[in-house]
Amino acid sequence: MRRRDFLKLVAASGAGAVVFTGCDLSQFGDGDPKREFQIQSAVDNPQDFALGRDLWYATAYPGIAGGSGLIVRVYEGRAKKVDGNPDYPLNMGRSTALEQSLVQELYHPDRIGGPLKLKGDRGSGSFSALSWGDAQNEFNSMITAGKGSTLLITGPVSGSEAAVVDQFTKAIGGQHVTYEPEERIVLREAMRRVFGSEHLPAFDLGNAQFLLNFGAEFLNDWISPVHLSIGYGAFRAGVGGKRGRYWHVGPQLSATAANADKWVYINPGTEGLVALSLAQVMTSQGLVDKGAASSIYNGISLDDYAPDKVASKAGISADQITEMAKAFAGAKPAIAMAGTSAAAHTNGLFNLTAVYALNYLVGSVGAKGGVMLNPDSPLPDVLPNMTGGTSYRDWKPIVDKIKSGGTKLVLVHDANPVYGLPPAIGLKDALGAGTKVVSFSNFLDETTTQADLVLPTLVTLEDWGLHVPDPGPGYPTVALQQPVVKPFVDAKSFVDLLIGAATTAGGSLPWKTNEELVRTVVGQLQQAGGGNITGVDDPKEYFVTVQGQGGWWDSNKAASAAPTAPAKPTNAAEPKFDGNGEYYLLPYPTNSLSYGENSHLPWLQALPEPISTNVWSTWVDVNTSTAKKLGVETGDIVKLTTSTGSVEVAVYMNPSAPTDVLLVPFGQGHVIFSRYAEKRGENPFAFIAAQTEAETGALAWAATKVSIKKANKKVRVPRLEGSVPAYQLEEFPIIEVEAAE
Amino acid sequence: MAHRWGMTIDLDLCTGCQACVVACQAENNIPINTEENFQQRRAIEWIRVERYWEGEFPNVKARYIPVPCMMCENAPCEPVCPVYASYHTDQGLNFQVYNRCIGTRYCSVNCHWHVRFFNFWEPKWPDSLKQQLNPLVAVRSRGVMEKCSFCIQRIDHAEQSAQLQGRDVKDGDFTTACAQACPTRAIVFGDLNNADSEVAKTVASTKRGYQLLADLGTNPAVVYLKKIDADPLPEDSKHKYFDSSQYTRVKETVAVG
Repeated sequence: MRRRDFLKLVAASGAGAVVFTGCDLSQFGDGDPKREFQIQSAVDNPQDFALGRDLWYATAYPGIAGGSGLIVRVYEGRAKKVDGNPDYPLNMGRSTALEQSLVQELYHPDRIGGPLKLKGDRGSGSFSALSWGDAQNEFNSMITAGKGSTLLITGPVSGSEAAVVDQFTKAIGGQHVTYEPEERIVLREAMRRVFGSEHLPAFDLGNAQFLLNFGAEFLNDWISPVHLSIGYGAFRAGVGGKRGRYWHVGPQLSATAANADKWVYINPGTEGLVALSLAQVMTSQGLVDKGAASSIYNGISLDDYAPDKVASKAGISADQITEMAKAFAGAKPAIAMAGTSAAAHTNGLFNLTAVYALNYLVGSVGAKGGVMLNPDSPLPDVLPNMTGGTSYRDWKPIVDKIKSGGTKLVLVHDANPVYGLPPAIGLKDALGAGTKVVSFSNFLDETTTQADLVLPTLVTLEDWGLHVPDPGPGYPTVALQQPVVKPFVDAKSFVDLLIGAATTAGGSLPWKTNEELVRTVVGQLQQAGGGNITGVDDPKEYFVTVQGQGGWWDSNKAASAAPTAPAKPTNAAEPKFDGNGEYYLLPYPTNSLSYGENSHLPWLQALPEPISTNVWSTWVDVNTSTAKKLGVETGDIVKLTTSTGSVEVAVYMNPSAPTDVLLVPFGQGHVIFSRYAEKRGENPFAFIAAQTEAETGALAWAATKVSIKKANKKVRVPRLEGSVPAYQLEEFPIIEVEAAE
Repeated sequence: MAHRWGMTIDLDLCTGCQACVVACQAENNIPINTEENFQQRRAIEWIRVERYWEGEFPNVKARYIPVPCMMCENAPCEPVCPVYASYHTDQGLNFQVYNRCIGTRYCSVNCHWHVRFFNFWEPKWPDSLKQQLNPLVAVRSRGVMEKCSFCIQRIDHAEQSAQLQGRDVKDGDFTTACAQACPTRAIVFGDLNNADSEVAKTVASTKRGYQLLADLGTNPAVVYLKKIDADPLPEDSKHKYFDSSQYTRVKETVAVG
């Protein structure tokens, strides 16, 4: 029977209804959608729709400074979903978009599947595959030849990985340098100068009543975003008694600043001047103890920073400074915080020290609702704390040594310095000069393409580790990372490879594998006593319990470490800018791509930058009236020129952008870094001037001036904004408040 | 009706971080939104975070508002579907039956919150990324509408687990992917019919609650808690982008530090 004939027959016959429905006529045609057309909904699955059971494993992610505890849903041997570990004290079950995206790192289509050997020219990305046996032989011979002149470049490491890196460096007689966001190097030094602490700051935000933040992106990609966001939630919910008030001071209404009750614009790099001016107002008006200020701002005459002397430099009024000082001193407990772009100036250290010292004036150091100083690692010998990164200034002699042949072997893991350091330093050329380079990367990126040998390593969800978070929760904490799935590709643990290399170099390490190291150190934690696991004597059971909990921590030792009052004052200085452009160039890390290390993950590429809502691209935020003056609008291509070079990017008209500041996000401009990142947008590190912070030598990436010119081209900027019509504002009502007495 | 699943979203706590957006995409097998998807305004985000401007530099504020499906009690998307693909469950959920949908997109036109998304293309993942797909959630094919389901697979799982234990689902047994990720606890999910649930208590006690486009009378199950503006912009700079001067602003006394 032809199909048409069949349909005719069915349409004409009551029997057709029976054929279609497969049920009796009494259930058909009564108009009730619940009974009519009973078709199984794919969203209302029967219980046996999916076979198998899901299992949840606790592990840890060390990829951001504070790290986080995770639980991962594993289904038939595949990791399906990452969430925060509710037991882990830093993130307490919560997570970021980055942590959610770890499954995409694991199953990334462009992940390197096995060892690779350079086939073509360096930088060409042309490699041939080889077996692990051959790769290991080649690696061993490089280690033997490189003994005494090996450079190991890693991202920030702590805990068990740091212990092995330390042992390896000693065994081979080499040097270890850490690549981390340069502004964090300034922050670490500020912590030493102001509090005498080797750790990044922790904040008791939940109990604070007032937060004065100078530029720190603490709700997005700064030191410990989930932990700080949890604190922020408690701060806003009024855990401390009243809803906390947050004022943001800085040159950009950033994704974090948008949450502030008030944003106070100041010129880039003047954060320290404003902080001193606040101190001057507080002391001269008797709002705080004047005697304390003289010892804290040792050697600085605060009267030189009275509001009328600072206001014009900072681009605000003297009254605004006075208002800020009164608000800060009047609401206790209050916290002063600074970071991100405030640290990325030639006077970055001064900016941070001047701001953090404000906490002493209002009695917030080590106090409830104030700045907390974390204790050291519970086992500093086998679980070292995270050490600071290498500043741009310190990279120069390292690069020169590679270039001159003084370094015979360069090993790179979890770092992409060829992308993240300005080209002026010449690292790419130095690596191409003949030194042997081994990369332990999972992706071909700008640094890995300079390698002779690529040894892919396990990713977060496949490997073991013990990590000491910095900043921690205020008490000794160790996060346990464990494999939640078998390796998806033919990769090996970086720590295993390093232990092997150290042995080849003649070292004698007490552990044969990464797993053995982790098990041994957990045993040492058990012997040390204390911690969250009690009443378990059997070592095996103890280890399994730590695995289940996701780590070890001792909340009974919750106490802020005693601060050391500022001993070495930082010179008060104004920012210096490179170039003759009429605008400040202010690059900024975003909540998703950060400084470009996450650009290979498609969920993060497609995550709208919160303020502009732009995705997948680089743009320049231009103030609405400035754009009109320049004759450009969203989508117009403009040429940005600094003393280093020129780039062409699209305009995004941003009503919150300052009139004389051009904002450009970090994250794009990868030459090679998977299908999702390469040849997309521009890399701000490539066109900023290589200015350095005066004392630490960190890269001052916000100290460049730029000019802008219309390029008479237009593109459509991919973004969420405009995808749906805006609601009427009455549907977004805002409560105005009066301060409760 | 045993349950009426609902959600509160506290705009005073939302930081716009969008952890909820990626958590939802990971949980619900939402296709990767490419650059072209955004340029064609066809990106799929079951929950999205919108940003609103108020004022202009230097007196300017940006506001965030997460928008999932409102799960309306009287949902405008339901009666317009000619094949009953969009229907109402006895738990107050507004469902989309993918294998009924014939892609008329009437429901999308009739949804004032714009939270329904049409699959203009067959969803594509590289083979390796398919390993991550959630086996409990159907992948939607080309030509059908999709939308937030309040993580129905989690509701089902919790109900089945409770049933095995011979009890009803308790508050806190499960939550949606967006609420689970939210670092500030701005999003809270639960049963509005359970007076002891956190959402029901919040809805009953808050002075800041409102529903988005409440005037339409659809009675959304998502209740927003208004943003507290402790330091409002000067009157003359408030509404440069959206003129809301004709509307009354609520003034209440809230304790602020």
